[in-house]
Amino acid sequence: MARFITIGERIHVISPVIRKALQERDPKPIIERAREQVEAGANYLDVNIGPADRDGEELMPWVVKLLQQEFPNTPLCLDTANTKALEAGIKVYDRKAGKPIINSADAGSRIGMIDLAAEYDAMVIGLCAKEGIPRDNDERIQYCTEILDRAMAAGLDPENILFDPLFVVVKGMQDKQQEVLEALRQITEMGFKTTGGLSNVSNGCPKELRGLIEATFCAMAIQCGLTSAIVNPLNKMLMDIIKTADVIKGRNLYCDSYLEL
Amino acid sequence: MAYKKPSQKFSGKIREVTVGSGLKLGGESVLPFYKFDGDTGAKPAVGMEIWDVFPESWPQSLKDIFGPYADDPVKWAKFCVEKYNPDFICIKFEGANPEGDDRSPEDCARIAERLAGEVPVPLVIAGCDSDEKNAKVFTKVAEALPDKNYVFLSAIEANYKEIGAACGMAYGNIVSAESSVDLNLAKQLNILITQLGVKPEKMVMNPGCAAVGYGFEYVVTTMDRIKLAALDQNDSTLQMPIISPVSFETWKAKEAIATEEDMPEWGGQEERGIAMEVSTAAGVLAAGSNAVILRHPKSVEVIRKFIDELL
Repeated sequence: MARFITIGERIHVISPVIRKALQERDPKPIIERAREQVEAGANYLDVNIGPADRDGEELMPWVVKLLQQEFPNTPLCLDTANTKALEAGIKVYDRKAGKPIINSADAGSRIGMIDLAAEYDAMVIGLCAKEGIPRDNDERIQYCTEILDRAMAAGLDPENILFDPLFVVVKGMQDKQQEVLEALRQITEMGFKTTGGLSNVSNGCPKELRGLIEATFCAMAIQCGLTSAIVNPLNKMLMDIIKTADVIKGRNLYCDSYLEL
Repeated sequence: MAYKKPSQKFSGKIREVTVGSGLKLGGESVLPFYKFDGDTGAKPAVGMEIWDVFPESWPQSLKDIFGPYADDPVKWAKFCVEKYNPDFICIKFEGANPEGDDRSPEDCARIAERLAGEVPVPLVIAGCDSDEKNAKVFTKVAEALPDKNYVFLSAIEANYKEIGAACGMAYGNIVSAESSVDLNLAKQLNILITQLGVKPEKMVMNPGCAAVGYGFEYVVTTMDRIKLAALDQNDSTLQMPIISPVSFETWKAKEAIATEEDMPEWGGQEERGIAMEVSTAAGVLAAGSNAVILRHPKSVEVIRKFIDELL
């Protein structure tokens, strides 16, 4: 069984520092954020450039090349709704460290991303949603099936899809948490890989609670089958829990120094 | 529907380690001898054990073969190489034992130097029963033979810092990490030695060895699980080639040392000793050993044939 995959979320256009650096093509802040995540143990780096309607086709290749030059052993997760920007990014992407992940397709307007993943032999996050948050797990599984059908038609091996049941915020959607975990269990039982954004769960909570909430949710989700997550790798408690879960799941052989690896 | 032959592909690969100037160990990305699945890497190596002192305690049959040469390790090694063509020679400094001859580390280093100068195959340097003394002997020998890529057998939990720093780092040789049939400790020790600064390509491991019938199942299952973690889980901390000092164990077993007078119903002593050595070696090779150390020329011949026919 393969180990849990962490996708570092901190290169995101929503951060003012990153937004400015992307706009000005300033490598330094981007590389700094990448480095702290790689050093903290992130397996993949998510690169969210936003919709980038104006210059995405030029921006995505720039940032892909920048990061791969500096971190040749860390594969990337290309995160934008802009198809042309994704395509341009994948074209310059070096696969030595692993396939790129497209973030993301859904069962609605972004289902075409599945075709893109098939065309370029990429992995893709399949958000089990169509418009907004799915109402219940029937809907989630319905969307999951729609994504699968599209993948079959496009010739994309389901191994390349990370199904995201859409994690929801605990503060306000407390009653939906068990449902999300149950969706993970169902998708896992179908034999598929899963992922999700942990910061969704803790959104809006006090800063001192966010790390704990994300780590706890992650541990519970791993037991339901979660195979990867979009994480803040600087949350050491979370990263340690993920490593420990890999040991308890038998995905990594125990030794006294397992946290140091 | 046509039959499609299944094949097991792993993401991990055992690191290739070069011993001496050209003896390669490891490099496989499949289970032992599974050549139908992929690359089996370098052929497992077969080495012969010699001592720095006359092997008084060895069974008579072995003394009959090596006795005329065993008064001098260089003569002994050359005899083995010329007659039996092993891939390497393992010199065991039995004479360094403080409870025996207590040979000095400097003396050991001089012997090793002579061997290195006159024996055309790589050396594996093994110690005596004293971990403390071994650290001193290995340091001196490594110093006398820098950058030779010789294997030092072994660093254990109690002395890995000294041996790792001297053999693996300062003097550019290869450290064998030894644990006694403990999967988790095997991994831990590899990590500790690499954290010290020894490069993984300068390491092999001995996760413990035993003669057949003496806890051998534990040895085999430990090796199996190490290889599976290395290959299937791509665990880089366990991707070191494995070296098994088979002869150190089998020639201590009562089946190998009991004389025919003592055990007439067991049959010939020499055959028993060979059978113990051959079955142990075949077992550890099938469980993933990349190199075995043997004593009896017949064992060398049989194990070599075993390897050649399977690969």
